[in-house]
Amino acid sequence: MALKRISKELQDLQREPPANVSAGPVQPTDMFNWQATILGPSDSPYQSGVFFLTINFPTDYPFKPPKISFTTKIYHPNINANGSICLDILRSNWSPALTISKVLLSICSLLCDPNPDDPLVPEIARQYKQDREGYNASAREWTQKYAM
Amino acid sequence: MPQIVSVKAEYLILVSFFMTFAVITNAFYTKKQFYPSVVYLTKSSTSLAVLYVQAFVFVVLLGKLVQRIFLGQLRAIETEHLYDRTWFSVTETCLAFTVFRDDFSPRFVGLFAILLFLKCFHWLLEDRVDYMEQSPVLGPVFHTRVISLSTVLFLLDYFFILSAYSHTIARGASVQIVFGFEYAILLVSVISTAIKYILHTIEMRTGEQWENKGVFMLYSDLILGSFRVLLYMIFMVVMMKIHTFPLFAIRPMFIAMKAFRKSCSDVIESRRAIRNLNTMYPDLTAEELATVADTTCIICREEMLAQQSIKRLSCQHIFHKNCLRSWFQRQQTCPICRTTVLRPTTPRGAAAGAAAAPNAPAAGGAAAAQQQNQAPNGGAQVPPNGANTPPSSSSAPPPPSSASSSTIPPFFNFTPLNSTTAQGSTATISQMPFGSFPMVLPPFAFPPPPLPPTNFTGMSEEAIRAMEGTELAHVQARIQCLRNVRTLLDASTIQIQQYMNIVSTQSNMENSSNILKNLNNDVNQVFASTENSRVDESDIEHIRRRRVELLANRTSSSPSTDIQDENSNNNHA
Repeated sequence: MALKRISKELQDLQREPPANVSAGPVQPTDMFNWQATILGPSDSPYQSGVFFLTINFPTDYPFKPPKISFTTKIYHPNINANGSICLDILRSNWSPALTISKVLLSICSLLCDPNPDDPLVPEIARQYKQDREGYNASAREWTQKYAM
Repeated sequence: MPQIVSVKAEYLILVSFFMTFAVITNAFYTKKQFYPSVVYLTKSSTSLAVLYVQAFVFVVLLGKLVQRIFLGQLRAIETEHLYDRTWFSVTETCLAFTVFRDDFSPRFVGLFAILLFLKCFHWLLEDRVDYMEQSPVLGPVFHTRVISLSTVLFLLDYFFILSAYSHTIARGASVQIVFGFEYAILLVSVISTAIKYILHTIEMRTGEQWENKGVFMLYSDLILGSFRVLLYMIFMVVMMKIHTFPLFAIRPMFIAMKAFRKSCSDVIESRRAIRNLNTMYPDLTAEELATVADTTCIICREEMLAQQSIKRLSCQHIFHKNCLRSWFQRQQTCPICRTTVLRPTTPRGAAAGAAAAPNAPAAGGAAAAQQQNQAPNGGAQVPPNGANTPPSSSSAPPPPSSASSSTIPPFFNFTPLNSTTAQGSTATISQMPFGSFPMVLPPFAFPPPPLPPTNFTGMSEEAIRAMEGTELAHVQARIQCLRNVRTLLDASTIQIQQYMNIVSTQSNMENSSNILKNLNNDVNQVFASTENSRVDESDIEHIRRRRVELLANRTSSSPSTDIQDENSNNNHA
């Protein structure tokens, strides 16, 4: 069932590719390991950056959430140095009605609107709250350094 | 960053080796013989420190070697978990040292180091088996490694438990009790990992989605969790009796209890949800399925076919039964709207939401018939019931079966009055089954006072109380309305009286004007005759005579004719 559903999602992604987001299996033989790219949203300091992510589907997908992490370094309150993403729908709020494209779009919106009240990197969250300009500058700098 | 760390670690290892070499050569160079140099090494604290560091380096290297053999390259997440857990474990070990400071010896430290070393491999094994879920294509190397590592760990745990047991039996209670319990808990974790591994392997072998795997996982978690909690409890009690409160065991015990509680509630709730699924929600029939626009099951993204078992939840979302079952083993909510399936929901809401609900047609038909009967009474102001029913009608008691729901027409649902606002008042009226209030709107500007429902059964205490409050306002409004009517009636009677006066005066005025006209004529005639008399003095006597005659006539006939006669006579004259 997992394999069937993952294949269907891949078909849907190829038929109607969502804006600023792309995803697909790393090797055509292994449908459970994907790579995704997210273009930095234009109204954020990550603008014009290209961020790579890995997606690992569990064998009981869609009943368990896929494991998604950034491989490109990114300066964000909810994404740590290992690329782990703090997003509720990837943990307790997962639902089988969600798809990879929806999740990637959620990550896109997380880039636009970080959630400093539930941070994974408390220092960046504090900076985001108190010194927005400094945060923007650092995020832009990291984007230029690692994502361009 | 990890690159720098590893380079640094290599340097540190080299430095450590170099220092050990220097210390040992120094000892042999100064003492010349083996025995005195060993004594020197163990007495000098500097050389001892260097040797301890060297021992630590050896342990780390050994760990790396074992990891290479049994696990291969670690994944990033495994390393992260390992570091996190190691820190916690080291802190707890230091806390344990404070409890057993009397037993403190190099041997004791060595035993703790071995415990920590083995713990690390238990965690890594757990992570490795969890990884199986994400990567279904695994070679024989992986399986060999996992099986051999778990066997080795199992045997080691067993061995250490036995030795701790024999030690305690032989020499009485000591720190060995702690090791005994620690290894027992590790043994439980090895068993649980092995069960997971077996379940994953079976699933991989079958190739298909194994629906009962979730159930097995839940129950194995429950049983092993209970073992773990039991062990911690016994450990606590024993430690309190022998030594002091085991502060270092609080955190893992708390985690174990939390996990146990979670697995308990998981088992109970998933069982309840699946039972609800089987009993409360009937299978969709082929006709019902035909009315559904989108027949894709959102869980597996495949078409739902009539021959498959399909369930509709209380929130009206439909799924494959098997898909729902697998989901309910993890969470007990609707995948689309997250409505819980554990609480009994109101099928009433379902009936209001969609007319396609299975037990609605009978009741709906009765409602329609009754409404048609009401139509002559109620007039056109009673709109169709469904249009006005508020969507959030959770106050009505849910009809448990289709039989009882057909006896209770759905529009007997009295919405709580606190929700009826000014616009809602008309809706309340239109919802009433009996159109006994012919809605003759008065021609005044103020709105009609809201009418109370006829039946108070099925209303909550609060609703009635709220209605009492509104009822007072309604009565006041009605009294005000009657007062207005009275003033208007008074005004209109006054107006009528005035009109009557005007009419009567007008008729009087008409009469008097006629009289005035006649008089004027008379006067004119008189003036004319006097002018004539000047010309002809002899006629005066004639006229006077005629007047006397006319007056004599007037006594016998009516005055109006007399005047006319007089006029005609004057004209003749």
